[in-house]
Amino acid sequence: MDPKLVEVTQLIDRFKAAFKASNFDVCSTLLSQLKVLLTKFPSLPPVFQQTPNAVEELKLAREIYEQAVILSVKMEDQDAFERDFCQLKPYYMDTCGIIPPSSEEYPIMGANLLRLLVQNRIAEFHTELELLPAKALDNAYIKHGVELEQSFMEGAYNRVLSARQTAPHETYIYFMDLLVKTVRDEIAGCSEKGYDYLSINDAKQMFKFSSDKELQQYIAEVN
Amino acid sequence: ASSPSPSKLADAPHRAQQTLAHPHIFADAAMAAVATVSSAGGILAMLHEPAEELKLHALASLNSVVHLFYPEISTSIPTIESLYEDEEFDQRQLAALVVSKVFYYLGELNDALLYALGAGPLFDVSEDSDYAHALLAKALDEYASFKTRASKATEEEENVDPRLEAIVERMLEKCVLDGKYQQAMGMAVECRRLDKLEEAIVRCDNIHGALSYCINLSHQYVSHREYRCEVLRCLVKIYQTLPHPDFLSICQCLMFLGEPETVANILDTLISGSKDDALLAYQIAFDLVENENQAFLLNVRNRLDSQTPGQSNPDSGSALPVDQTVNAGTTSTEPAGDVQMGDDTTTANGNAHPVDPNEAAHADKLAKLKGILSGEKSIQLTLQFLYSHNRSDLLILKTIKQAVEMRNSVCHSATICSNAIMHAGTTVDTFLRENLEWLSRATNWAKFSATAGLGVIHRGHLQQGRALMAPYLPQSGAVGGGSPYSEGGALYALGLIHANHGEGIKQFLRESLRNTSAEVIQHGACLGLGLASLGTADEEVFEDIKNVLYTDSAVAGEAAGIGMGLLMVGTASEKAAEMLAYAHDTQHEKIIRGLALGIALTVYGREEEADTLIEQMTRDQDPILRYGGMYALALAYRGTANNKAIHQLLHFAVSDVSDDVRRTAVMGLGFVLYNEPEQTPRIVSLLSESYNPHVRYGAALAVGISCAGTGLSDAISLLEPLTSDVVDFVRQGALIAMAMVMIQTNESFDSRVGTFRRQLEKIILDKHEDTMSKMGAILASGILDAGGRNVTIKLLSRNKHDKLTAVIGLAVFTQFWYWYPLLYFISLAFSPTAIIGLNSNLEVPKFEFLSHAKPSLFEYPKPTTQQTTTSAVKLPTAILSTYAKAKSRAKKDAESKAANQEKTAEAESKANQEKSTAESKPSQEKSTDAESKAKTTEDASGSTSGEAAKTQEKDGDAMQVDGAAEKKAPEPEPAFQILANPARVVPAQEKFIKFIEGSRYVPVRPAPCGFILLRDTQPSEAEELVLTDAPATVATGAGNNAAAAAAGQGSAAMAVDDEPQPPQPFEYSA
Repeated sequence: MDPKLVEVTQLIDRFKAAFKASNFDVCSTLLSQLKVLLTKFPSLPPVFQQTPNAVEELKLAREIYEQAVILSVKMEDQDAFERDFCQLKPYYMDTCGIIPPSSEEYPIMGANLLRLLVQNRIAEFHTELELLPAKALDNAYIKHGVELEQSFMEGAYNRVLSARQTAPHETYIYFMDLLVKTVRDEIAGCSEKGYDYLSINDAKQMFKFSSDKELQQYIAEVN
Repeated sequence: ASSPSPSKLADAPHRAQQTLAHPHIFADAAMAAVATVSSAGGILAMLHEPAEELKLHALASLNSVVHLFYPEISTSIPTIESLYEDEEFDQRQLAALVVSKVFYYLGELNDALLYALGAGPLFDVSEDSDYAHALLAKALDEYASFKTRASKATEEEENVDPRLEAIVERMLEKCVLDGKYQQAMGMAVECRRLDKLEEAIVRCDNIHGALSYCINLSHQYVSHREYRCEVLRCLVKIYQTLPHPDFLSICQCLMFLGEPETVANILDTLISGSKDDALLAYQIAFDLVENENQAFLLNVRNRLDSQTPGQSNPDSGSALPVDQTVNAGTTSTEPAGDVQMGDDTTTANGNAHPVDPNEAAHADKLAKLKGILSGEKSIQLTLQFLYSHNRSDLLILKTIKQAVEMRNSVCHSATICSNAIMHAGTTVDTFLRENLEWLSRATNWAKFSATAGLGVIHRGHLQQGRALMAPYLPQSGAVGGGSPYSEGGALYALGLIHANHGEGIKQFLRESLRNTSAEVIQHGACLGLGLASLGTADEEVFEDIKNVLYTDSAVAGEAAGIGMGLLMVGTASEKAAEMLAYAHDTQHEKIIRGLALGIALTVYGREEEADTLIEQMTRDQDPILRYGGMYALALAYRGTANNKAIHQLLHFAVSDVSDDVRRTAVMGLGFVLYNEPEQTPRIVSLLSESYNPHVRYGAALAVGISCAGTGLSDAISLLEPLTSDVVDFVRQGALIAMAMVMIQTNESFDSRVGTFRRQLEKIILDKHEDTMSKMGAILASGILDAGGRNVTIKLLSRNKHDKLTAVIGLAVFTQFWYWYPLLYFISLAFSPTAIIGLNSNLEVPKFEFLSHAKPSLFEYPKPTTQQTTTSAVKLPTAILSTYAKAKSRAKKDAESKAANQEKTAEAESKANQEKSTAESKPSQEKSTDAESKAKTTEDASGSTSGEAAKTQEKDGDAMQVDGAAEKKAPEPEPAFQILANPARVVPAQEKFIKFIEGSRYVPVRPAPCGFILLRDTQPSEAEELVLTDAPATVATGAGNNAAAAAAGQGSAAMAVDDEPQPPQPFEYSA
């Protein structure tokens, strides 16, 4: 076996171990090492050179980026998520079946949809959606995102907020939390225009805050 | 809220593609397909990775896919730019390269170049991609324009971006390494890097080729005169370092640079060398003469003179006289003396005397060389050629003469002028002699023109010129029977004869000028003096003419203005300011016009130097001075195709308020563009459709001037509609221009030539045609067959130098709009279409060469057959036609065959004779007309009808014979033709000329045109000469050996010279 492949495989194993141990600092160091090693693989995009190890290499690379995406969620780093996801995408989109589809593909795609929703980048959300094949829309992970977006657009914010409980993947929780914030921002934006004044109670209900204190805190943040 | 994200950019444009290629849909089908990325989003994302290696990797990947994904990448340019600007990033250059490429694809070449410079060595000049090519071109452009700017504003020393310079230098280096020397040279010249030019030439494998390429380059593409001089100087420098310098080219360069000293040195060295070197020296001299730069040639000659005593005389003070006595004075008195003889005698004597035989040979060669440089030799040979090959068609003139109304003096003098042009330089004045009475109808200024026309006919007849004109010249002291008009004309004629070679006649003309106060004579003398001392800038002559100018007489003043201009051609002297001042003072329009043209002539060929003067003239309030300004512009930038000049001329052509200025502006385009005749029709095509007839006229002449003698198809197409314009003078201009374009082109080369000839005839014969266009047609027929059908109009010499005399001639010629006598200036533009081979004695040996084309393509036009005249006079020929045939057929049965046979032999002998008449069968209605007449004659001579019948039968047989002969006639035409020295070779034919391998004579230079010196490979054998003037010399004797030149042809020419001059002084004393 190619020594480079061996080295990468070993590193992945160490990464996974560290990940299990939730030692994220070690993880990110290992990850950047891995990424640098990946640049030595000729069969990766955008070159796609047809080497004997191509399948192995592609699979490894995909796995690394998948791990990187998950790690970024764990570390709550949206920029890293976006960066890694973009680098991962060619492995899903452009490999033309050189490697079998990954089991992680839809969960990660779904997470990305959520992220876009959270960042309120609706146009890109739909772009991503368009790129997916029709049957993918039936997938639970994707469906989750799509439904959320629909509720979000309709203004059925309580459905959005209650969807946190039905999240199909653990990584989604992070985004769901953020989504609450996004929703509240939306509500705040609308109510600013809609009401001259609001009573504390009405506001608390509208913003789904359980206590006055939380509301006060939010108001302080917004202003 | 987030920064512009790569994925946002990545998706939109490639969505469709991605859906199609999506692995999950086409998983099976896609297995075979080659995987490619559908978006650069991933790579762009990588740029944001914190690790350096990843950024690097991303940049490298981007660099390889930039041509596919530049739209996506373009939105991330700020990111990449920031990488480039990051001082700590160690691959800044790669980033710059990527940015540069993106900008290139976006069409932002300036930014692309800026970043490409930042990419440093990563920008690969040898890369064979559109990107590299486009940016290199851009870089060169930038650099070149920068260098040009820098050279203009010397004081503010801007520094070129060293990176740009580095790229250009790398590019040059690469071209040289790849063996693309011409590219390298072109770029070096363009970028004003003479050091690199020199390097490229020296490293080139074919230095001679490279140098001649560069010379061409500098003339065609270097528009700035000073810089061109620099380039040429650099080239000369390289030439001189070569072991075998190409002296022909060096001397051409030096002539352009105006360095007679060096040329004289080279020539002197050459004639001191071997015989072959001497041949080369002669060849150089001939080539220099071809450029007609009289002042320069004069300088060279003087320098040669001053060198000779220094070198040869001191140590052989007694040698020369001794040699001369031995050679019976042949060497020095007669330039074309027999050198072989001379050599033999000197060597024979060399043994006896302590005299260096080389000195004698040297002196002899020097004399010959000076003979050539003075232009005498080439003029003499040309004269011989034109005389012996004269093929002018007198019938055309006869037709014109008969068609033209007697009282119409315009057409009458046009006919005389046409005759003069047709016989220019041939010395054949048969037509004038045959029509003395008709000629004498010319009065006043027409007489002036008619007399001047003799000068055109005898052009170049240097030695005999004055004797020829003697009957008309003003007789000092004597009462002088001649009218001032013929006297003035004669002085003008002398000028034409000696145009540009007036050393001998100058003094006489000056005296004539001083001794007269008649303005007509002054007029002729001023023109004559101007012509004779063209471009010599002689102070004394200038003063003489100026005195005439200050008499403020309109007629004389006009000629004085032109004369001063001719004298100062191309000197750009401050005299122009003086002339301009006077032009402002005087009241006479004629004088202003003369001066305006004169001023224009002084700046001939000075390009940028003339700008101030041009500016001054074109801004003047007086339209006549603006008109002169147009000429100045045209002449200063003659044959440069300078964009600025063209731009200015076009501007005036459409915006000036005066028609004269507009006309001249358009015409000026012809002068500016004559080095690129193909361009002219395109540039003036819109103007030729102008509503303003003056502009159309100008357009016609512009095409005529710049495309003169080319027979260019585009030019003819443009002129064709103008020849039937609604305005008469436009037709006139178009006809003349067409003739200029078609000169020396025959019908088989372009069928429109035949059409045009017929059109001319129609116009001339048409009673209702306007005088103006009729005059145009008459002149056009003259120009079309100019110089006995052996000359063409050439404004560029073989070496692409401008021919000063020719250009000046045409410029003044166009002035005929105001003053008909100036028509004759066109004769200055004529140059013979001949190849004349010369041996080392400057004689014409028997020598043959090959023309690799069908003879019919370049042969003389067929002589016109008697048409209108014959039908009336030669009635018997009419019997030959249908009537005779029918008659003979009817009689045939009755007649016995025996009688028939008897006559056959007789008939056959007549066949040839009758064939010609049969061919000239008149048109249908004429023949019927003749038939009826024939019938009446037959009826009248009833008794002789039997005899008549017999003759008719004879004729009938003859017809049959004719038929048979005609069937045989169309034989396949040979694909080549052997020409004998000297031969007529039209410009279009030159590329087909081959010298026969292994013939006795080998040309010194390969280019087949003009005068060619031939190296004799069998010098021991006796030479057979074709044109020899030796017998004439004997005949005329020592005192008159000068006459030999033209008289040497044989008895005919001798007769011409010996006879009292036929066109007697006219009887009219108006």
